[in-house]
Amino acid sequence: MTVSPIIAENLVRHFGDVQAVKGIDLEIKSGEIFGFLGPNGAGKSTAVRMLTTLLRPTSGTARVAGYDVVKDADKVRRNIGVALQDAAIDPLMTGAELLALQAVLYGIPQSMMKKRSDELLERVGLTAAATRRVSTYSGGMRRRLDLALSLIHQPTVLFLDEPTTGLDPMSRLTLWEEVRRLNKEGTTVMLTTQYLEEADQLADRIAIIDHGRIVREGRPVDLKASVGAPTLIIKTQTNQEELAKTVLVSFGDLRPGAQGELGVGLRGGATQVTDVIRKLDEAGVHVQHLEINEPSLDDVFAEATGYRLEGSDNAPPAGDNGVDEPQTKKKSRRGRK
Amino acid sequence: MNVATQTGLQEKDLNITTMRSAGQLIKRSLINTRRLPSAFFPTLAMPIFNMVSFSGTFFALTKLPGFPTDRSVNWFMPLGLAMGSAFSGVGLGFSLIRDLENGFYDRLRMSPTSRLSLIVGPLFATWIRVTLVAVVVFIAGGMLGARPTAGVLSYVCSLIAALGIATIGAGWGLGLAYRFQDMRGAAIMQLSIFLTMFMSTAQVPLNVMTGWLHTVARINPITNIFRLSRSGWVNETSADYMSWSNAYGGLLAIAILSVMSLIFAVRSLKRIDN
Repeated sequence: MTVSPIIAENLVRHFGDVQAVKGIDLEIKSGEIFGFLGPNGAGKSTAVRMLTTLLRPTSGTARVAGYDVVKDADKVRRNIGVALQDAAIDPLMTGAELLALQAVLYGIPQSMMKKRSDELLERVGLTAAATRRVSTYSGGMRRRLDLALSLIHQPTVLFLDEPTTGLDPMSRLTLWEEVRRLNKEGTTVMLTTQYLEEADQLADRIAIIDHGRIVREGRPVDLKASVGAPTLIIKTQTNQEELAKTVLVSFGDLRPGAQGELGVGLRGGATQVTDVIRKLDEAGVHVQHLEINEPSLDDVFAEATGYRLEGSDNAPPAGDNGVDEPQTKKKSRRGRK
Repeated sequence: MNVATQTGLQEKDLNITTMRSAGQLIKRSLINTRRLPSAFFPTLAMPIFNMVSFSGTFFALTKLPGFPTDRSVNWFMPLGLAMGSAFSGVGLGFSLIRDLENGFYDRLRMSPTSRLSLIVGPLFATWIRVTLVAVVVFIAGGMLGARPTAGVLSYVCSLIAALGIATIGAGWGLGLAYRFQDMRGAAIMQLSIFLTMFMSTAQVPLNVMTGWLHTVARINPITNIFRLSRSGWVNETSADYMSWSNAYGGLLAIAILSVMSLIFAVRSLKRIDN
């Protein structure tokens, strides 16, 4: 029987009077990329620290890679890879030295160490920089080394805590590609992020966490669908607009479009696009232009929490300190759609 | 099927041992010492500075009746060495604070290696550094006129005392670093260990002390460690000259204080997980 690699039940963590995580339930399936989305201080990092054995839960249970995070912490550690938020790397050491240290700490046999380190350095594009001190690395290089370190023992479950915070767009794309590649190879990935785009691009499923609670969970497409139907915009010849409207209205409410465009809110979601095209074609309408506007995760987040993420247009935010902090309240744009 | 066996290395392939991990952590510690000599320099300079300044400034102490040696450098060289060793020991706490603050220690804690290796590895590296310091201090002391009165055993006893003080300082420093997890612990580390040392026979023999300081120094276990350290540097006629009865108390103090401080470190490390 296949056990889900990450299962949390009513996980709670208090720091004195502060309730950082207020009872979260999670089940992440084997081979998934699971996005944990939330603003600074929402409890993402605290939850990850509990799942990676760095912090004991105040109450509740969690099993990672099939083992209890409290009772079998060592077994959990053997099976997970973790790249924490700030790429915690000793700046005085070289990439190769750090990989050697990590390999020994994870019990990689001496005979395999060199081969494994070389493979990983090549994989993350750091072969040429392997003998340089980490203090000379760029932010992107540190992140990639951090990822390589977390993969030294071929973990089945990989935790990435805000892996692209502070990275330039190119480095971010490179890291995304690597995460996708790892996932294709069978690694289950739990990714915390405050970038909506990152969660949307990478995650099979996401959970939105706010003030220590999961407020939404599901596939990004489903979550977006839950806040409203996508809008299909078409452009056709002027003399066919009325005919097109009679076809479109059977799929949902007509919505205003730009000059010369027709819009319809697809009740059945984006999967209806092919049906719409077929019906328009059968009615003799020649479509000149077509686009579909999905509701965004930003809309989902706003609907779930009542405010929007700071920098929801993906501006780099500050770090997450793992405890509750006041959120930046911004008026929801949902009504503008 | 357990998920843990899907893509990872098999359990039987892994070779996780405390000593192997400790060995790698020793290597890391020594690499850092080599690459950041400014952090090691005070440990080396302090004992030599103390030895030179104290033996010169307090030369007249040797004229006191009952002073166990007529060479002030013979008296102050073990003090300099002890201070350098204590500094090395608590310095381990400083390094740990740096690792805790920059997050590197989380990486070590997340590995499946034993918690003991996280303490033993850096401690062994400290012993290596203290041995290096001792060699330099012995050479410098010899150049300043220090002469052993019990041959090789003089050096051996001073080195054992130095390693013992480093171990006590390391356990204490690590324990405080684990508990405070920031530089608040550093001040307590230094203040406590150096106060304890100076309220012993660090600077003058017990028989020339009076009042409360005499009482405190007499019961202070560090006094026994200094007796061990100096037993090969005092005159053969002195009551503190090398003998089993003089060495015994020092060895026992080192053993007890080392175990206590290391237990404190281990227990403090466990608190981090909570």
